[in-house]
Amino acid sequence: METILTLAGIFALTLVFVVGLRAAGWSDFAGPSTAPQQRPVLGGGDPQTHAWQRFHARYYTMTLLFVAFEMEMMFMYPWAVIYVAEGGKALAEMGMFLAILSVGILYGWREGIFKWE
Amino acid sequence: MTLLTVLGMLVFLCTSVWLAVALDTACRGWISGQGADRADGPLRTAALWLTQQRLTTEAPDRMNALLSIAGYMALALTGLALVPLGPDTALIALPTSVVLWGACEALVVVVVFLHGWSPNAPLAMIGAYRYVAIGLPIMLLSMFVLIAAALPAQSLDLRDIVTSQADVWNLIRQPLGLPLFLLLGLSLTLRGPFDYADSADLAGGTSVEASGPDRLGWQIARLAMLTEFSAMAATVFLGGYLGPVLPGPLWIALKTLLVMTLVIGLSHLAARMPVSRMMSLIWMILLPLSFADLIWAGLVAL
Amino acid sequence: MGMTWITRLAAGARVPVFIAMGDGAPAAALTLSRHPGLSVVDTPRAASILLVAGQMPDALIPYLHRLHDQLPHPRATLLWQSPPIPSLPDAIAVDADDDIGRAVADVFAAVLEGKRASAPDILPDAPPSEWRGVGPHGQGGKGMMGGTPYGRPMAMTDDDIRDRLALDSYTAAFGPFLPFFPPGLVLTLTLQGDVIQKVVVTHPPFDHDGSPLATLLNLLGLPALATRSLGDRADDPVLRRLIQLSGARFAIPSGLGRLPDGSDVRTRFDRMTGAAPDAASQDAGDTTLEHLLVGLEWHAAMLVLCSLDPATLRDICKNSDTGDQDETQGESESEMHAGHMS
Repeated sequence: METILTLAGIFALTLVFVVGLRAAGWSDFAGPSTAPQQRPVLGGGDPQTHAWQRFHARYYTMTLLFVAFEMEMMFMYPWAVIYVAEGGKALAEMGMFLAILSVGILYGWREGIFKWE
Repeated sequence: MTLLTVLGMLVFLCTSVWLAVALDTACRGWISGQGADRADGPLRTAALWLTQQRLTTEAPDRMNALLSIAGYMALALTGLALVPLGPDTALIALPTSVVLWGACEALVVVVVFLHGWSPNAPLAMIGAYRYVAIGLPIMLLSMFVLIAAALPAQSLDLRDIVTSQADVWNLIRQPLGLPLFLLLGLSLTLRGPFDYADSADLAGGTSVEASGPDRLGWQIARLAMLTEFSAMAATVFLGGYLGPVLPGPLWIALKTLLVMTLVIGLSHLAARMPVSRMMSLIWMILLPLSFADLIWAGLVAL
Repeated sequence: MGMTWITRLAAGARVPVFIAMGDGAPAAALTLSRHPGLSVVDTPRAASILLVAGQMPDALIPYLHRLHDQLPHPRATLLWQSPPIPSLPDAIAVDADDDIGRAVADVFAAVLEGKRASAPDILPDAPPSEWRGVGPHGQGGKGMMGGTPYGRPMAMTDDDIRDRLALDSYTAAFGPFLPFFPPGLVLTLTLQGDVIQKVVVTHPPFDHDGSPLATLLNLLGLPALATRSLGDRADDPVLRRLIQLSGARFAIPSGLGRLPDGSDVRTRFDRMTGAAPDAASQDAGDTTLEHLLVGLEWHAAMLVLCSLDPATLRDICKNSDTGDQDETQGESESEMHAGHMS
């Protein structure tokens, strides 16, 4: 409960921060942006289309590998707490798990997934 | 008591944001051979940004533009609230505070992406997408390092991680930990070799379109994040509030400033490589190093 | 309007200046980032002063107009060793022997205090294409992707040159006023994601030297070292040592941007830093920008572009596709001229 209250307090504080920043009264020059002011910055050049697009994120194969590791994290949190109590067995288990995932990295490397293509 | 803590932390945050700019300009001046700037420089630049007109772009995503700044700031504040100031004092006292911090760290990728997405401008958008490619794997690395620090404490509570360092700091016990963790700091705060979002090759990347108050808000949030990260690194690797003579909160403040200086120095002195090269470096070298750190920590803890 | 405390505070700030490099820009323009009273910024959005250094050829005037209007108010323009520009009647001329720092600071203070009006837009306040009330939803769109929603068309799909995925391709004229672009150069680039698919030289670079080492160091994320490299010390051992320590050589992939003479970005960087002996000159052969840039990711492409010495880059631009300029720029140019005449 206390945690939730603290978090709520933090969110309230940040909202005050951003709204305060944008509040009128700081500047004598505030005003809506005109159409030429709104053009995207390209160093004087002009684009043919909007920038929003089906962007070619070339690391999409890497993200699959990332998900595998991220799932492993779920296992690691409780493992960290009981590690000392369990001893060598826990170490061996995690070692095996990491070894299997490392094969995934090697496979990804062979397929060139870290190379931006 | 709690109110006093909150006020104290806010004062510390403001001081450290100002100090971070001062350190940054001092570092820059020293390396470039130009000498230091005036002490009130940061304050005056902030005033100038407040005075400037806030520009918007063609058909922007207004809500996410606001949310990205607010979110970045909120994540920094949440992280800061998790930092223990004494054996039982932390604004957010959770038995699983490491997990909450990990979640904050992951959300940074989202808010930085949104910041680059919302202006509907090409250079900002390239910065946004590119940041995700590095922000994701660097997060894995940092979580391995954090889990390694949790092993000797047998707990996911940052307060226990500090008490577990009463005899020897994790800095010495797990020598690979802090260097790897600092890389995450560079990435979280968009600095130097890990600045793939706001970099010079994109004329400012996700902030290329930010003017006036929005620019000020984003920069303050970045510095708040730097403070938060430094405090977290000091807690996990430098024994947090532990120390002789001086009171605990003062120790953590001093250690935070020390880490901050390290991060700022690194960001000026290490070169940034093209993104695909960095992606390979993280997966093929840095991530295996973090495995080694975990196994090392595991063996030491037994 | 009265001067508030916040404006008074702001008046003492380092003046944020965006430099638009023209032809024959004064040498001091390259080292302006070392000026204690100024801060040279990367984007017009962060600037209060637009500093036009050197002469702006007619072909680049429409670009200058677009740049000018992108600065937030309060703003002002200075023409530094530049002949007057008719569309910028309020711009202040600064001569070679004037103190540029003083001139910038004076204008900045005057605009901030309201003694001088902030420069108005040059271009008309109209969207790239009219969209209000157009189409079935009144936002300018037509069908799934057609029309000009909110003033511009949407990007359309095209096959990627690397993996043949048909995602959107984005075409725009980049430069000439990007801080890391060689002065004068305008490229019309087609991108898929952040990878360059097509290069057309829309305007060639000027015939004068920039500060390639400083630009490269900036691109490598080392702004402090970049500023140091602009200092007057001819041979600075500390700079050399710091560049070595920074891992800049390692950060540049080997084989990037290879020319017929065998040099790549890394070897050209070594020559600039003095780590390798200076070669007589680079040999472009019949290399085109297409050879050099297509298929590269943005950061790598910019490293290649900035590693070439000006003469070589001009040769390469001559070899390259200069496009049918009327097709890409003609339309918007005539629109611009109509705009500032009215």
